[in-house]
Amino acid sequence: MDIKTIDHLCELSKLNYSDEEKQQVMREMGAIIELMDTVKQIDLTYDDTKDFNSIAFSQLRRDEAAPSFSPEKLLSNTDPEDGCYVVPKMVE
Amino acid sequence: MELINASLKTLRTMLDNKEISARELAKEYYDRIKKYDPELESYITVTDEQALSDADEAQKRIDEKNAAPLTGIPLAIKDNICTDGIRTTCASRMLENFVPPYNATVIEKLKGQNYVLLGKTSMDEFAMGGSTQTAAFSKTKNPYDITRVPGGSSGGSACAVGAKLAPAALGSDTGGSIRQPASFCGVTGLKPTYGRVSRYGLIAFASSLDQIGPIANSAEDCGILLNAIAGADAHDATSSPAPVEDYTALIGQDIKGLKIALPAEFYSDSTDDEVKSTVLSAAKEYERLGAELVQCNMSSLKYAVAAYYLISGAEAASNLSRFDGIKYGLRGEGKSFDEMIRDSRSKGFGAEVKRRILLGNYALSSGYYDAYYRKALALKQLIIKEYNDIFDKADVILTPTAPTAAYKIGEQESDPVKMYLADICTVTVNIASLPAISLPCGYNADGMPIGMSLVGKRFGEAVLIQTADAYQRGFKYEPNKYTGA
Repeated sequence: MDIKTIDHLCELSKLNYSDEEKQQVMREMGAIIELMDTVKQIDLTYDDTKDFNSIAFSQLRRDEAAPSFSPEKLLSNTDPEDGCYVVPKMVE
Repeated sequence: MELINASLKTLRTMLDNKEISARELAKEYYDRIKKYDPELESYITVTDEQALSDADEAQKRIDEKNAAPLTGIPLAIKDNICTDGIRTTCASRMLENFVPPYNATVIEKLKGQNYVLLGKTSMDEFAMGGSTQTAAFSKTKNPYDITRVPGGSSGGSACAVGAKLAPAALGSDTGGSIRQPASFCGVTGLKPTYGRVSRYGLIAFASSLDQIGPIANSAEDCGILLNAIAGADAHDATSSPAPVEDYTALIGQDIKGLKIALPAEFYSDSTDDEVKSTVLSAAKEYERLGAELVQCNMSSLKYAVAAYYLISGAEAASNLSRFDGIKYGLRGEGKSFDEMIRDSRSKGFGAEVKRRILLGNYALSSGYYDAYYRKALALKQLIIKEYNDIFDKADVILTPTAPTAAYKIGEQESDPVKMYLADICTVTVNIASLPAISLPCGYNADGMPIGMSLVGKRFGEAVLIQTADAYQRGFKYEPNKYTGA
């Protein structure tokens, strides 16, 4: 585990750390990955035809329009403007 | 009988016979919460005004002699289960002010019976942890010793039941989060078969492993709660259409001839000697009750913790990507879209949640996917096969719930690897989608409860409840300072 990998993971995870925090995270993640390496000790191949937890298509509901939440309810956990979510400007 | 020690069945009779009103019962628990919870911190939100009005509604139904099993019964709910109009925080700064616009299916089912919501209980942040000390607020204590952890992640629910600040509660279990805190707090916790209970409205951690279940004072009480919450749900495509049974129906039937398997790897040197000997004494008690003990092995156990953290981490990284500070949750600052999202997530999530996201993205990223994530899925298939092989020879499996009893606050939480390894006894059950129940089987030299787990076949909850009840009938519970008070 090195700082470059931590930077890459922070990018994928959309997280920020200070330089000092990164050093600690690097040490912790190194120890965690060492534990995860246990799985490399066994020779096994995943057979995705045998995954019994897959959802049966017969159990899926029909793709039909149905009443949903009101806009007021959906916006109730934010500070909306004119009935819209507000985000920073994305295009110049 | 003293009210706080009454079973759910006895409370039902007392309510129906007008020995107590639903309002008086709720007030009894609120008085206790007010007195003891400032010290224990099992609740994040107490819903007293709403509860008393719910109790009055329940009373009308009782007066009409139309009560369901949970009508007027006060319950505590883990704070990752959505409650319409009532703050649901996941014990995270990210959702500190989040008020869901809908109820989880389990809440709708309980409301259908006119239950009384006492409040929302604390937990490890986003259910990631085994101590309830990763909570951003309300870091719950153990009712047997407040210098020790209550376990986690459903530590608030287990503590509330253990200290009699609720007669029963709901928790959720992704890798042991119902069973381990139940074990640490000296109560009973049931993790149902994956798909037995709808996950709709449970804030997702790892969707292929998460399951809602009851924490209560007995196996029978867990069965009564499971009866209320089980069943298929159109809102959750992973919920099972398997018929719902009466999960208390086998209670009282003897267990003569029941085959109980003891996988040797669960009783290895990594399990504390006192825990091992206490669980093995319980196995002897089962033998005395007529059960047959079967020795067996589970060679995949040594890979299980890594497989669990890879699968759950990968799913957590994906599930938690929804928290961007835009539609709900803590909103950070930033001039650009990306800066704002990163600031929201960095301020909103605690250290352990961030570690799990990093681990998940590591396992899923290019170059590591086959070596880690797919390997973990291969191990999942091996674990399932080994459980199937054991169930060819036995009806239930008996293991310790955790390698140790509750430890001191601060003793383990700063070492993530140590914390992860402590999940060894519980994670395979989630990986294999099986049901399991944890119940107290003794106390260690420090007076802390020791829990054992019975693992059942898929949808075998009724047999688990019967088997746990058979042991509980002869078990002597030790009170704690709150239950003895």
